[in-house]
Parts: sequence; C-alpha cells; structure tokens
Amino acid sequence: MCHTVYFVQCMGYSMTLTENLFENLRLELRRGCLTLAVLAQLKQEHYGYTLRKALAGRGMEIDESTLYPLLRRLEAQGLLTSEWREEEKRNKRFYRLSSDGEQIFARLLEEWNQINTSIANLL
Amino acid sequence: MELLDRYLQAVRKHLPWERQDDIIAELRANLEAQLEDKEAELGRPLTKEEAEEWLKQIGSPIQVAARYQRQQYLIGPALFPTYSYILKLVLTWATVIYLIASVVTIATQGLGVEALAGISLVHVALRLPWIWLVNAGIVTLIFALVERAGARFPEKIYPLAPMPAQWSPLDLPPVGAEDGDWRKPRSFTKSLLEVFFGCLLLAYILLVPHYPFLLFGPGAWYLHSLPYLLAPVWWPFYWCLVAINVLDVAWKLVDLARGAWQKRKNPVRHLAMQVLSLIPVGILLAAPEHKLFLLKNPADAATLGGSLVAANKGAFQVLSIVVALVILQLVWMGVKMGLNAYRKRVAAR
Repeated sequence: MCHTVYFVQCMGYSMTLTENLFENLRLELRRGCLTLAVLAQLKQEHYGYTLRKALAGRGMEIDESTLYPLLRRLEAQGLLTSEWREEEKRNKRFYRLSSDGEQIFARLLEEWNQINTSIANLL
Repeated sequence: MELLDRYLQAVRKHLPWERQDDIIAELRANLEAQLEDKEAELGRPLTKEEAEEWLKQIGSPIQVAARYQRQQYLIGPALFPTYSYILKLVLTWATVIYLIASVVTIATQGLGVEALAGISLVHVALRLPWIWLVNAGIVTLIFALVERAGARFPEKIYPLAPMPAQWSPLDLPPVGAEDGDWRKPRSFTKSLLEVFFGCLLLAYILLVPHYPFLLFGPGAWYLHSLPYLLAPVWWPFYWCLVAINVLDVAWKLVDLARGAWQKRKNPVRHLAMQVLSLIPVGILLAAPEHKLFLLKNPADAATLGGSLVAANKGAFQVLSIVVALVILQLVWMGVKMGLNAYRKRVAAR
C-alpha cells in the first residue's frame, strides 16, 4: 500500500513537472508572436483595452500586464505613435503603426511566413 | 471604484518616477473601460469580492509596475559571461592571497603552542565566507553599474565580452596546451636530457658546500666576513634536498631503462614529488626557536641581536609563504585530478 501511495505521488509529481514544462514552453512560443500580433492589429488605431479585445476576438489572448507595457516599449522603439484623445468623456491613449513600424511589420511578417514554411516542411 | 483607486495608487509607487502620471492615466482609462464592460455584462456593479478577484487576475502592483521598468535585470545576458569569469578569478585569487597572508601572520605571531595555532586556523576558515561575500559583492556592484551605464548610454559603453567580436580561431591555444605536457608523448632525447641535467643539478648541489662561490658567486668571499653563520638545521635540509634529487634522477633513469620514457608524465608522480619537496622546507620551518642563522661570536648578541632576530623572522616569513604557495598548488592539483577522475567516471556511465 505504501508502495502504491508513493508510486501515485511520484507519477503526480512528474505530471506536474511535465505540465509546468509545457506551460513554460507554450508561453515562450506565444511571447515570440505577441509583437507581430500587436503590430498587425495596430494597422488600425486602438487604445489599450480595445486592442486587447480585438486580439482576444481573433484568438490571441494577452493579459493587460503584458500588453500595456509592450505598447510603451514598441512606442519607445519608434514602431508606434500615440496620442491622447477624449472619447466617451474619458481621456484615452490611442496607438497606431508609425512609418518605421509599417516597414518593420512587413519584414517581420515575411520572416514569420518563412518560419511557418520551414516548420511545415519539418513536419 | 475605491478598490481600483487603491490598486492604481499601489502600482504608481513602483513605477519609474518620471512616467508615473502618464502610465497611471493610461492604465486607469484601460481598466475603467474593462470594468464598464464587465458591469454591462452583469447588468450591475461588481461586488467587492468580484472586484478583488478581477484585480488579483491582473497581477500584484509590484509585478504590474515591474513590466514598465526599462531594465529588468542586474547584469544582463550580454555581460553575464564576462561577469561570471571575472567573479571566479577574483574569488580564487582572494582566497589564495587571504590564505597566504593568514598563514604567514599565524606563523610569525610566535604561536609555539599548537592549540593556539589551531584556534587561529579555525578563525581563518570562519572568516573565509565573509571574504568571498565582500569580493563577490564588489565585483557584482561594478558590473551592475556597467550594465546600468550600458542601458542608458549604449553607444558609449562598449559591450564587454570574453570573446569580443574581432576574435579569431587562430588566436586560440593549441589542443593540450592548457594541460601542459600531460598529453604530449615525450621524445627519447627530451627524456635523456632530463636525466643529464638532473645529474648535473645533483653534482652542483653536492659541490656547493665545498665551493660556496657556485651558489653565491663573488659574494661567497664576503660571506666569510659576516658575523653570522648557518644554524645546524641547514644540514638536514641539505641532505634531504640531495635525497630528493637522487630519487628524481633515479626515477627518470628507471623510466629510461624500462623504455617508459614515451609515456606522458604521471600526474600522481608529479604530485608525489611536489609533496616530497615540502619536507626540506618543513625541516627549516621546524628549526628550534625558528633560528636559521646564528652569531659566530655569542658576545656580539648585545649589538647584533636585533638584526639577527629580524633576519630569522624574515627568513621564516619567506619560507612560510613558499610553503603556503606550494600547499595551495598541491591542493589545486589534487582537486583538478579528483574532478577529472569524477568527470571520466560520469562520462563512462
């Protein structure tokens, strides 16, 4: 009985490790795609919350604590421009792609398509 | 909502101060829009528990604010390899210098009682982690400052790396060079020359007592006029030195006779010879009252006593340093051999 309890606990422990490992790798994979997804969506103007909703609506869930700092970073890198505007009695910061951002996005998209093709070939 | 205001106030505390207002204004607009949507779905305001759950899902204020920071690490991936390398070097040399200084200090404090020396050694060992901590702290602080400067002024601070961009494979050391001669097979000529020069050295050592000028040059005649003479302890030291050299030459002759000169140097034998070399020095260190030099005329003690004590003390300190260095080298060799054996055992599994 002790052996069985021990065995089940070990199995549970290794499954948790496997799940954790998968979760970490999954997050890494998604992290690489986030910037591309955000740049793609910002061909149209959005503010933080509507951008998050638009991405979630297309299957790309991103939590606030990741998305909003990412927008600031992309703006600091010159890929986005932003402006404060009042909408529905509230001041909101609207983002859209800059001209540099459009060029970078086009190149990233090409890179993404190449990676997709390579992966498809490998599989 | 009061809970949201408290949440944003807590996030604000941890934000970069120059952008606090801007970030909080944006975050407030986004979270309030999200809250409106939730309340529109429910058809009512959120309860306190629902609001608490919602804010917990967003993340703790420290975590949320941290993502707005520019630099997220003390020492970044570009600089870390250099930092790791320098840290290992500094800790190694700090340990060596500290141990040598401690051994010399203990030896020259005139602690003839073994118990007191033992207590001092324990004290030295207990202080060693503090030495490591201080040195590691200084190195880490320097590299953290370089990282911070590099993040602020990337074009001015040249990225440090153990392998800079302009390195060439041609500049790398040849295979086996780091292990010295351990891997290269020795030639017969080299082995024969080793025996020849070993015999020459032995002959030289045997002749020095009869012809001191071989060691001191013209200064040998000046030595006769000095009021000092060597203590009797030098004779056991001398004969021990001769014995070790005879053993070394004999060992090399046996290797030549057996045809084993092609085999690479045995590290265990090298280690053994190094240990044996400590014996003559140990004999000197164990000299009664640490007197390596004596006065030719005891009546000169009144005038020359002070300089004699200074000479003996100086010689003792030098010998202590030599022994400490040899012991450290032996420990290092032993550790390396142990690690190599362990590595081979692990690889063989």
